Amino acid sequence: MLHPTPSPPAPAETQQALDLLPALTDAPAMFLARADLQALIDALGADGRTVIGPVVGEGAIELAPISRVDDLPIGRKDEQSAGRYRLGEVSGDRVFDFGVGPASAKRWTFPPQVPLLRAERDADGHATFRAVAVDRAPVAFIGLRACDLAALAVHDRVFRDGPFVDDDYASRRRDQLVVAVECAAAASTCFCTSMGSGPQVRSGFDLSLAELDAGFLVRVGSPAGAALAARLPLRPARPAEVGAAEASVAAVAASIGDPVATDGLPERLIAGHGSPRWAEIAERCLSCANCTLVCPTCFCTSVVQRSDLVGAESVSERTWDTCFSPGFARVAGGSFRARPQDRYRQWLTHKFGTWVEQFGTSGCVGCGRCIAWCPVGIDVREELAVVAPLPAPPLREPPRPAALRFEAAPLGMALPRPTAVSRAGPTTMSVGRIRERRVETADVATLVLDDLDAPLLATRPGQFVMLELPAFPPLPISVSRIGADAIELTIRAAGPATAAIVGLAPGAELGLRGPLGRAWPLERAIGRDVVVVTGGIGLAPLRPLIESLARDRERFRALRIYDGARTPDDLLYRDELRAWAAAGFDVRLTVDRAGPGWSGPVGIVTRQLERETWDGAETIAFVCGPERMIHATADVLSARGVSRDRIWVTLERHMECGVGLCGHCQLGRWFVCRDGPIFSLAELGDSFGREGL
Amino acid sequence: MDGRVRVGVAKFASCDGCQLTLLDLEDELLPLLERFEIVEFPEASSVRSAGPYDVLLVEGAISSPDQAREIVELRSRARVLVTIGACATAGGIQALRNWRDHDAMRLAVYPHPEWIESLASATPVRDHVKVDAELRGCPISPAQLRELLAATVIGRRPQLPDDVVCAECKRRGNVCVLAASGTPCLGPVTVAGCGAICPAYGRGCYGCFGPRAGANVASLADRLAQDRGPDEVSRLFAGFTGWADEFRAVVASHGESIDRRQEASDGSH
Repeated sequence: MLHPTPSPPAPAETQQALDLLPALTDAPAMFLARADLQALIDALGADGRTVIGPVVGEGAIELAPISRVDDLPIGRKDEQSAGRYRLGEVSGDRVFDFGVGPASAKRWTFPPQVPLLRAERDADGHATFRAVAVDRAPVAFIGLRACDLAALAVHDRVFRDGPFVDDDYASRRRDQLVVAVECAAAASTCFCTSMGSGPQVRSGFDLSLAELDAGFLVRVGSPAGAALAARLPLRPARPAEVGAAEASVAAVAASIGDPVATDGLPERLIAGHGSPRWAEIAERCLSCANCTLVCPTCFCTSVVQRSDLVGAESVSERTWDTCFSPGFARVAGGSFRARPQDRYRQWLTHKFGTWVEQFGTSGCVGCGRCIAWCPVGIDVREELAVVAPLPAPPLREPPRPAALRFEAAPLGMALPRPTAVSRAGPTTMSVGRIRERRVETADVATLVLDDLDAPLLATRPGQFVMLELPAFPPLPISVSRIGADAIELTIRAAGPATAAIVGLAPGAELGLRGPLGRAWPLERAIGRDVVVVTGGIGLAPLRPLIESLARDRERFRALRIYDGARTPDDLLYRDELRAWAAAGFDVRLTVDRAGPGWSGPVGIVTRQLERETWDGAETIAFVCGPERMIHATADVLSARGVSRDRIWVTLERHMECGVGLCGHCQLGRWFVCRDGPIFSLAELGDSFGREGL
Repeated sequence: MDGRVRVGVAKFASCDGCQLTLLDLEDELLPLLERFEIVEFPEASSVRSAGPYDVLLVEGAISSPDQAREIVELRSRARVLVTIGACATAGGIQALRNWRDHDAMRLAVYPHPEWIESLASATPVRDHVKVDAELRGCPISPAQLRELLAATVIGRRPQLPDDVVCAECKRRGNVCVLAASGTPCLGPVTVAGCGAICPAYGRGCYGCFGPRAGANVASLADRLAQDRGPDEVSRLFAGFTGWADEFRAVVASHGESIDRRQEASDGSH
């Protein structure tokens, strides 16, 4: 389960530990004799921790539980290149003379499958959602490399350091111990030097080891590491030993060189969006996702429902997924990244580019796993050099600070950052009851939900909820009315899950997570002309906004609504539309196909707009409908003189977590669920409408 | 009629392993029977029904003129037709004959080939009638069969994977046999569902679940051909689901081995 970040100052003890740290890490290096390595393993396991370390697996060095020195890959080495990994042997008794294998700590910090919620639904429609108990026995790692530590630091930022916290991840990380090892050899696939993550172990460890022929140079990286060291038979290291260890890691760094030019890489990747290379890569790329699955930082997931045969009881389970899955960015009506080249571009530009803006760090740590384990040997280092070449002559000035832009955004339009949320709404499932079910059209119904937790009643116009019927996948649904003791959801039966939900009778219960996402920026409409343009079900997320406009009518100038539907019978909220017209809104309705009794205009909604003569200079627009309709509307509004920072649209994307942690809804640098779904065209820049983004 | 979903199981050219998967749902057979009335299931009961069926599970490839007629008839009596297994969805192992001379093959196998009525090719059910859903595999996965049945009762879309075997390998913690030992493996282009059983035992994937739609088989075939040569690549793709469009394309482009194998086997007879 997910929990919002509390943002309290660091607890006193944490602060104390942080203050201590420089003293600890400056402490002189110690030495552990080779014969005493077992003492370290024993000490790691002494508090009931499972010790995870490198072992010789089926053809590769893997990570697995260990208890004895003999479990470690003594006298083994590896040979890695693009698409190839081979295990070899060396003479001697050295333990850590190999590079990273396919497994990373991710398997223990962010396991492939995690059960989330057990949902039950009885014959009367009562629903309950309970967290599933998960075994999170504490773990101690031995043998992680500098790149592995960097990967853990990346995940800490994504899952632990907010704005939303993944409770499962945070609790697994809380009691972990990490004994890092300095690399003594580099694989040909390594590029940690370029990514600034290695090969030298610098932070994020409790103890670090540098292997020398006679034993291990030991450094302390945390109070827990100091406590561990106190239980080991250590002696102060000799200067020659320190020197040998430093020379070893320096030699590794030199052998890697600097294979990836990272100066301005995010900007270069954006500039390379139209590169023909993406299609060429796609000719080789299998979309098999080995790269993302061995990547220690890739975190995309999907939720699957495992239910009994009748849907009375189900368990939702989070499972590793990947942006290479054909259905990953699919919504009803199609996928936003239909072509393999779109999916490869999404992965590479996210990993090396947009990740920086999302999390303040690159998503790549230079471990090279994606290169070694790609079945067809695609090498990201080569591809980056082609799709995002360094400008010639090379950049002399320092790289621009973090900000990365699809196009110059006006001041004050920085990426929206959700503030830390102090209530439980976005990340905990609560239950609401259907008080009333109102049929709107042949395939649309409005559910009035009451018996709600307080945060849901504080939903703002434009926000959405993740709605869940036990045994069905969760659905993102915009709130279509916010009342004093109830909210309304207007839902079109577009597929089996929506059909099941709109068919529920009053009294039935549903799970809700929310409110989620950004609201319509109503305050920006004050003192301006307001135009609302909607198509079909798109009127639903705008109804709360229209009702707010109506409530404060005098604070706005002209109010115009352009609403289109397929047929007159498909028009939503006909009573409200009449009432809004009576309250001073200029309401224009259009249908694609007329029917009996229809004397209004026929055609797409943008046609109506085109015929208008009003001046858009002082207008703010709010638009919701199918993506193609949004595009056409945006063009017409721009032609009317409405500036791009005053055209606000709400985007549909595949959403599962609703808080930016599952990866499905990414659009360039945004998580649409968390940073949107409402955006201005100025914010979206040229990522709006770009194929395959 | 008692409100239960009427299920039938029909079989064409196949080994029966897929329909037996229904019996593998041991623990849930009784609850299953509360929701499903199994009216036709020759492997389990001699009670027969001519339908109609709410759900008809069809196993096996269409391999004889009688079968080609019968599947059309069955389709007309089934509301939802689901093909189960590699034979029904891709032609199965018997589709290997599609690359060979039919008469020569009958002569090689049967003492009285004139008594045998078979079509020159064994083809998936999809080539003959409309199919509403497919469960892949040789045999199918009990979990996927269960999911299909549960989704039918609950009224949701069955959650069947669209990733490839590699994803299951990685979740399971298998080391990639292709990268780590050069073992030829169809996992990168084969749709998930088996749980990556073969790579878990150090074998390459045989592609029983068939190609993921749109899989880039050409690239994998090129990669494998570098180490193994076109003949072996062709043999690899011409397996349990070799007649599936994507795999068949590889056999077509790398395909001499099929003929050579025929010569070899003809020689042995």
